[in-house]
Amino acid sequence: MPLRVRLTLWYGTALAAILVVFGGVLYAMLAHGLRDQVDRSLDEAASVAVRALEQHRVGPFLPFEDLAVEFPELAVLDKSFQIFSPAGKVTIQSPNLGRLDIPLSRTALEAALSGRATFESARFLDGSSFRLLSVPIILDGALVNIIQVGTSLRSVEEMLHRLLLVLLVSLPAALAVALGGGWFLAGRALRPVEAITQAARRIAAGDLTQRLTVAHSPDEIGRLAATFNNMIARLEASFRQVRQFSADASHELRTPLTVMKGETELALRRARPAEDYKLVMESTLEEIDRMAQIVDELLFLSRADLGEVRIESQPVRLDALVEDIQRQAVVLGQEQEIQVMVGSVALVQVQGDELRLRELLLNLVDNAVKYSRPGGKVEIALARYAGMARLSVTDQGIGISVEAQTRIFDRFYRTDDARAHAKKGTGLGLSICKWIVEAHHGRIEVQSKAGEGSRFTVILPAD
Amino acid sequence: MRILVVEDEAKVASFIRRALEEESYAVDVCADGARGLDLARAGCYDLVILDLMLPGMPGLEVLKALRKEQVAAPVLILTARSELDQKVKGLDAGADDYLTKPFAIEELLARVRVLLRRGSGEAAGVLQVDDLVLNPATREVTRGGKRIELTAKEYALLEYLMRNAGRVLTRPMIAEHVWNQDFDTFTNVIDVYVNYLRNKIDRGQERKLLQTVRGSGYTLKAE
Repeated sequence: MPLRVRLTLWYGTALAAILVVFGGVLYAMLAHGLRDQVDRSLDEAASVAVRALEQHRVGPFLPFEDLAVEFPELAVLDKSFQIFSPAGKVTIQSPNLGRLDIPLSRTALEAALSGRATFESARFLDGSSFRLLSVPIILDGALVNIIQVGTSLRSVEEMLHRLLLVLLVSLPAALAVALGGGWFLAGRALRPVEAITQAARRIAAGDLTQRLTVAHSPDEIGRLAATFNNMIARLEASFRQVRQFSADASHELRTPLTVMKGETELALRRARPAEDYKLVMESTLEEIDRMAQIVDELLFLSRADLGEVRIESQPVRLDALVEDIQRQAVVLGQEQEIQVMVGSVALVQVQGDELRLRELLLNLVDNAVKYSRPGGKVEIALARYAGMARLSVTDQGIGISVEAQTRIFDRFYRTDDARAHAKKGTGLGLSICKWIVEAHHGRIEVQSKAGEGSRFTVILPAD
Repeated sequence: MRILVVEDEAKVASFIRRALEEESYAVDVCADGARGLDLARAGCYDLVILDLMLPGMPGLEVLKALRKEQVAAPVLILTARSELDQKVKGLDAGADDYLTKPFAIEELLARVRVLLRRGSGEAAGVLQVDDLVLNPATREVTRGGKRIELTAKEYALLEYLMRNAGRVLTRPMIAEHVWNQDFDTFTNVIDVYVNYLRNKIDRGQERKLLQTVRGSGYTLKAE
């Protein structure tokens, strides 16, 4: 069932219950109040009559006219008036009773004999209801008369009847109006939800540029829309990243393919000296190595993304690692007359995966050598500061511009200078470094000035 | 026919250059977008082969700048991205054709021929002046149905003359479009080659097609 219908139904049911209870209570209270009023007025009339009879010691045989002359207040009473003898016989009857004959009931008589007044309701054959009060008059301990005061309940009943009619007509009408309003309001409140559904459907169809245009209100819907927009923005960003990544990956793989295809086809166009074929094959081999490296690194990163790369947690002596890598790097640098040195090295141990840390440091040193100029120096240093190991690799190479510094850890990102300076390089090395550092709960920082050199600093929690 | 190749991958640029040179085109290579633009602007190239991913200046920007400056040379773009919008953007920016890497050498050469042909208004893929016919695809030259064997340089010279049939071509123009180096200082090399060529196409023929325009240069035309 749609939420709108359900909301309206809930609302309607609750409102109907409230209205019914309200109507019932109103009716009961009014009925009770009116009867009370009737009873009080009967009581007053009776007490006037009793007082009069007691004062004048009226005997049982006084005609009403005389009585009326004697007590004008009795005549103006809108009540019927009867006086019964102790035997229950009517002795005096007020004229407004007309032809109605109201006998004294047994209960009233018995109560009167024991000196108690009685309220009663009576309904006659013609449908009119009467409220009666029978009061005994006792003189010197003996029952002299019983005065009965009565009044028609018609006006009370009419009023109650009218109230009932009003309630029966107005309550459903009010309910209908309220239901309509509720339906409208629920629709209004739910309209943004419908908008969200539509947008979500378009987004599900692949259009991640969609945003919800719900007004920025601090209510639930506003918050939902904001949250939703936020989520789509992040989805869009990560989708873009993935798309960029695969586009970059295919670009990086296409380049060696282009070289291999082009050079091979060119070589095959006509017969050539053996030396030419040899050159083509050497070049092809280089490209194959390049592709193999890209594929390896891509595989590592995708496994890392999926959480499939396990990182050991063993004590690793970083100072020993630095010495070790430096020995390897000296060879790397020799070809281009780049000196790889070790600066100050503190004794630092960290918890981690020695193989990965070795790969990290080797990558950084390899980069430093690759982007150095002949005759340059590369320095590896290790310090301990505030409980952290600070491992740095400093070079005097081509450097990285400030705007590129934020992007060098992005996959496949290489600056134009880097591409021009070193043809080899996949643009994935620093991404891998960053991943290894973060897997060790550390961070990697770069300080660099274009043309003057760079310093990469790895900060890891030390033991 | 002089071709500029703007491509930053040294190996790709190198094999494209060798392939084009084997087809007797004069080739210049440049690895930087901004420099490529300068070259294309200054030199009179018959065709520019432009990579889209370039340092210095993106290929698309180079292309737009060229078209803005009314450089009319046909442009063939090379792209490693096969996405449709890259191609559309390139073509909209004024490129005449595109190739997606990796591409076949023969396809590159065929497209180069098509683009050069478009510039010369030749229709059937062959160039013809009177009864002299040159087929760029097969590199076959015939006169009156008889096949003429030409060296690579002679062929390049003839192709340039035939593509510009009826126009007077000065020695510097010929040097620029046919030779790789700048021959300004010893234009007599051109005269030597024109003579070789004349011997092969006009000797013994009634109608002489290759004519010297005194003080200016040469022209190839049917009388």
